Amino acid sequence: MDWHQLWAILSAPDNIPIVAIAFLVPFYSWLAFRQARANDRLIAQLEADPQLAKTHHRKTYPWKPGWLKEVHTWPYLMRMEFLAALIVTVILTIWSITLNAPLEELSNPNLTMNPAKAPWYFLGLQEMLVYFDPWLAGVVFPTLIIVGLMAIPYIDANPLGSGYYTLKQRKWAIATFCFGFIVLWIVMVFIGTFLRGPGWVLFRFGRTWDPTYQPYAVNRDLPDIFHITSMTGKAIFGALVVGLYFLVMGYLLHRLITRKGFNRKIYERMSLIQYLVMQFFLITMIALPIKIAIRLLFNIKYVWITPWFNV
Amino acid sequence: MPPESPERDPVTSQSLSGLLLISALLLVLTLGWALYDEFYGLRPWKDYQRDFVVRYTAFLRRQKPKQEAAERAIKASPEYQALQQQVDALQKSVEPELRKLDEQSALIDQRLAAITGKYTDAHARVTYMIWEVEHNSGSSKRSWQADLDKFKKGPFRFEAVSLEDGRVRTESVDYDRLESEFKSLQAKKGELLVRKGELLRPVSELKAKLDAYFKEHMTGLTAAQIQGLIDKTQAMDIAIKQINNPDAGIVDRCESCHLGIREPIEITARDMGGRRVFVSHPDPELLKIHDPEKFGCTPCHNGNGMQVDSVKQAHGEYEHWLTPLYHKADPRAKSAGAYMEAGCQQCHTNDMVLAHAPVLTAGKDLFQWRGCVGCHRYQNYDPEPEELTAAQQKLQQLAQQRAEDVANIAKATQAGDNAPDNETARQFYAQANEYRLAVTNIDLQTDQLNTRIKFLQMDRKKVGPDLKEVRAKLRPEWIPVWLKNPHAFRPTTRMPRFRLDEDELPAVAAFIWQSALDVKLPSQPMGDPVKGKASFESRGCQACHAIGEGANAVGGWFGANLTRIGEKVDYDYLVRWIHNPRERSAPYCPFEKRDLTPADYQKHGLPYVFDLDHSKCPNDGHELVVEQMTVMPNLRLSWQESRDIAAYLMTLKQKDPASYPPAPYLNDPQLKAKGEEIVRRYGCAGCHEIAGFEDEGRIGTELTTEGSKPLEQLDFALYIGQAKREGWWSHRGFFEHKLARPEMFDDGMVKAEGEELKMPNFFEPQNGDLTKKWGLQDLPPESREQIAQLTTFLLGSVSSQYPARYFDLPEDQRKDIQDGWWIVKKYNCMGCHQFTLDQDSVLMTLPQYQTPDGKGQLPPRLVTEGARVNPEWLARFLANPALSEKDTDRDGVRSYLKLRMPTFYFSPIEVRKLVRFFQAMSQQPMPYIPQKLEPLTSREIAMARALFTSKGAPCLKCHAVGLPAHDQYATAPNFLLAADRLKPDWVKHWILDPAMIDPGTAMPSGLFRQEGGRWVFNGPTPPVFQGYEGDHADLLMRYLFELTPAEQQQLIRMTGAGMNATAAKAQLRPAVRGRAAGR
Repeated sequence: MDWHQLWAILSAPDNIPIVAIAFLVPFYSWLAFRQARANDRLIAQLEADPQLAKTHHRKTYPWKPGWLKEVHTWPYLMRMEFLAALIVTVILTIWSITLNAPLEELSNPNLTMNPAKAPWYFLGLQEMLVYFDPWLAGVVFPTLIIVGLMAIPYIDANPLGSGYYTLKQRKWAIATFCFGFIVLWIVMVFIGTFLRGPGWVLFRFGRTWDPTYQPYAVNRDLPDIFHITSMTGKAIFGALVVGLYFLVMGYLLHRLITRKGFNRKIYERMSLIQYLVMQFFLITMIALPIKIAIRLLFNIKYVWITPWFNV
Repeated sequence: MPPESPERDPVTSQSLSGLLLISALLLVLTLGWALYDEFYGLRPWKDYQRDFVVRYTAFLRRQKPKQEAAERAIKASPEYQALQQQVDALQKSVEPELRKLDEQSALIDQRLAAITGKYTDAHARVTYMIWEVEHNSGSSKRSWQADLDKFKKGPFRFEAVSLEDGRVRTESVDYDRLESEFKSLQAKKGELLVRKGELLRPVSELKAKLDAYFKEHMTGLTAAQIQGLIDKTQAMDIAIKQINNPDAGIVDRCESCHLGIREPIEITARDMGGRRVFVSHPDPELLKIHDPEKFGCTPCHNGNGMQVDSVKQAHGEYEHWLTPLYHKADPRAKSAGAYMEAGCQQCHTNDMVLAHAPVLTAGKDLFQWRGCVGCHRYQNYDPEPEELTAAQQKLQQLAQQRAEDVANIAKATQAGDNAPDNETARQFYAQANEYRLAVTNIDLQTDQLNTRIKFLQMDRKKVGPDLKEVRAKLRPEWIPVWLKNPHAFRPTTRMPRFRLDEDELPAVAAFIWQSALDVKLPSQPMGDPVKGKASFESRGCQACHAIGEGANAVGGWFGANLTRIGEKVDYDYLVRWIHNPRERSAPYCPFEKRDLTPADYQKHGLPYVFDLDHSKCPNDGHELVVEQMTVMPNLRLSWQESRDIAAYLMTLKQKDPASYPPAPYLNDPQLKAKGEEIVRRYGCAGCHEIAGFEDEGRIGTELTTEGSKPLEQLDFALYIGQAKREGWWSHRGFFEHKLARPEMFDDGMVKAEGEELKMPNFFEPQNGDLTKKWGLQDLPPESREQIAQLTTFLLGSVSSQYPARYFDLPEDQRKDIQDGWWIVKKYNCMGCHQFTLDQDSVLMTLPQYQTPDGKGQLPPRLVTEGARVNPEWLARFLANPALSEKDTDRDGVRSYLKLRMPTFYFSPIEVRKLVRFFQAMSQQPMPYIPQKLEPLTSREIAMARALFTSKGAPCLKCHAVGLPAHDQYATAPNFLLAADRLKPDWVKHWILDPAMIDPGTAMPSGLFRQEGGRWVFNGPTPPVFQGYEGDHADLLMRYLFELTPAEQQQLIRMTGAGMNATAAKAQLRPAVRGRAAGR
């Protein structure tokens, strides 16, 4: 993607959300962390003064004599929400006037676009297809993502941090979110948008997207490196490697969880099933960037090869 | 430390009213913007329509006074005035009678008005009561009947005016009376109307005449019509204008902006203040042929017909629309209409000639002439090789089938012999007989196929010459010079330059030289170049061949330019070629895949004779290739004349042939294998016959639908980026650049030897510098024009999305015309003949045919050929224009012409197509059934003789009679040919008014005058005509069709001194304006 193409991509109406993400994600992350830090300061202040803890603070400020004891929803909350609704309506209206939906003409099955890219919010999934079997990347992982998200309330044993931003009280959850959303999802969307050119070939930044570009890359399977040729051998070897990874990663995570007092306390509140489910999702999530890395760095296609699926 | 809490509550003390106000205002503003966008922003055509109404109305208002003035001028003309006065006078004369009728009519109307209401009410009631009577029985029927009778009695009262005295009085009648009164009034009214019409008929007839006179003299629209247009325009709805034809999936909204396209008045951009969008269609004729309601706009013009969002999108000029608008070329270029005509091609694939698309037609010609078809398959072009292959495959299948059937006969017969009972035996024998019949059928089919193969072989032509003949034909030293760059030797040649490097060139030359037949031609005595030059210029060679380069070239473009012919050819070969270009040095057997030698014939005790009558292989009976695959015809010249012409051509050179560097490597056998590989790689056999390459296919990609190939599949190579930047990332850009310098898409590419692009260079830069990379703009204007023509043709070569019934695929006589044009173009018939009045033949433009005598020498114009000649005769003539087996060195019809119709050796397939073409061009029914003519009585013969030899009609002065002394000056055909050759109807028309059929003919018009429904001789009638009531022209025509040689001798004797043709010509000179008599 040269500068000309970069401009073409940035100015395409369907990529507006991606351009916006580049600014909005850092901004809101910063905003959330700032708010969290302010809240953490307040928490420390309140915890130090039990008398003060019984009063109603405003925003991140402790209560001060002379203030109302309580504030009403109307008008103090409603007016804020109304203002937000107005601003959002104005933005959406202007957006829809100035930029038309990027609809194309009737499709021609004999002539497909190259590269054929999913809508921006699915680019992460599409990028996963490079590293996994289609049914894993397209079916199993999305299912795991949804199930994992649904499982969060049930495995979350931390009673704190509900209804306000806080870093101190929910370090573990925030770290997991940042890793899953920002690193995995947003970064993959950006790779898909800016680095994947014709033929879904990875073009380094600045290189012109040329349909005739043919990079030299031969992918191998991990068992091949160890000269394992039989199917059974490959299946068993792969299972061992994957199993070993689960054990090692599970152990490392366990060490991390039980390292500090606060986390240990939460850990003690968890049942075995809760803990194992959390471990499973965390290990699987971490496996994704590892797989991407060994693929891009060592050209390793699959680790575990079986007649039914490849990992 | 955490920040100190503020003094006042941060939630309740904060006011948001300012922000809320601003946001609310912004929302209102955006709402306004959204509404504006909805009504105007997204609908730019609304502005166009409002603009159009203003400009068009103003334009019409400017036009109106002009047209009014024109109208007034016509109305003031004495003719119009006279007519008008007649109308007025007539009108006045009928006025009193008319007034009387009107009065009566008014009276009847008044009375009718009074009665009608009463009658319709009573009638409805009576109808109802009758229904009840019909559908009841017993007492209720009787009761209804009673009611009906009572009602009918009435009385019905009304006040009405009396027809007798015109007074109003009250009348009282019963129902029957009422009804009869009503009906009689209506009848009277009708009668009055008829009388009025009769009275006015002469007036209206005269008025119609007046209107006709007005229409005839009025050009353009009348003021009233213009006013109508103004009213229509002002009342125009601002709305999307759409053509919707679900039949073909056409939805075109182009007219939402192009509002003037179909207006009945010519609108130019200047009329509309420079707005080109509003002009009317420049060729309304085309719209008449292609009704826009049926064809829409986009099928011809491309673009996105449904889009109305923006000009760019509507014209389809964006990424996602695959068929962007066809544009005109640069208006300064010669083929300014180019590209746009591409739209014609998808439906008119079968048409070689399109009157409204000259650029496309030129492109179609070029595709054939330039030899593109040698490498690229294109539907309809050069179909013979494929048909031959198909026929040969079919032959093989049939042979197999036959063998099986023969075996089956034996099997079935045997089974019958061994059958247990008679019934079974009979069944088996019947089966055997069926097989016998099948074998017979196969044999018959095989014969048919063999004949077809022979014909196809006759029709199969190659673009370039036969390279098997090079050893006999060429000087060896010339070959490498030619191969290096054909354009350097002959700038107008169609042979392209193959980019052969220093190693390849000698190899190719050596292969061609060594693969050629080693024949020794008989040595020919030298001819007379002076006579040869005269022959060359008078025999019609120049219809195809030119001599002289650049602006000095004289002659046609179809064949090779002969300016330097003397530098390359062998004299002996040239003599044979001129004598008969189709003569081969050896026949080729497609079955054995080799050239036969005299030994092959000797083996079978046959003489080494091969021609169209001896075309079977002595070894295996397959059809041989016995002709050279050239379109050059046999001019039936004598050997001496051929030698003279050859001797003349040998003098044409710019350089001494001896100065060519020798090429000893031509005989180096080591080069042959490499040369063969290169010849195969470049597909030389596409245009040339080369030994060992007879079955070689085309090496290029098929171009029939090249225009709809996705752009991504066209190989722009490293030029993609540049093409996009410079705006030629399009089909048009690719075709143009590819044609300008085919190897440009190898620029910068790393390619192995032999992998480079193979397409040769057809065009060279103006400065002749081949070392630098050149582009389209460096080519000479003629080349660019040809590229535009070819590009137009390729752009239009698309796989159509429209139903086949929209294509021009006629099944009637128009198909014969389509088929015929292919042949006419294939053999360059237009070099000598005119097929349409606006087309000039090459010969007509040559200096020697500009004088009156020269014009008399021109070949006939074929515009009405189909109506003139008997198709059976035409078929005979086309097959053998000498019309004689023995005396072949002559022209069958016009022996007095120096130019002669050459022998093309058309196969019956092509003869049939040509005959049907001529018949269809003149709308003649096929097959032709000759008209039966009344035989002449002895008195009529005497009369005809008298007429023929009279001083008023000295027919034999000009028409040939077979006496050499006379025919030398005769400029019209022999009458003896007429019976066989012409159609009686046409002859009669011709005798009556030849100038109507062939403007400029020497045959005098006005020989007959109309008298009482018949034609009589317009001169001193010979005495035998006394009392003859028949038609004189008819008599003459019948006489011509009965004419025998003996009778002609009789005529010659009777004419005597009047046979002096030179005198006759001198007398007719003023009438000679173009061509010879009697075509």
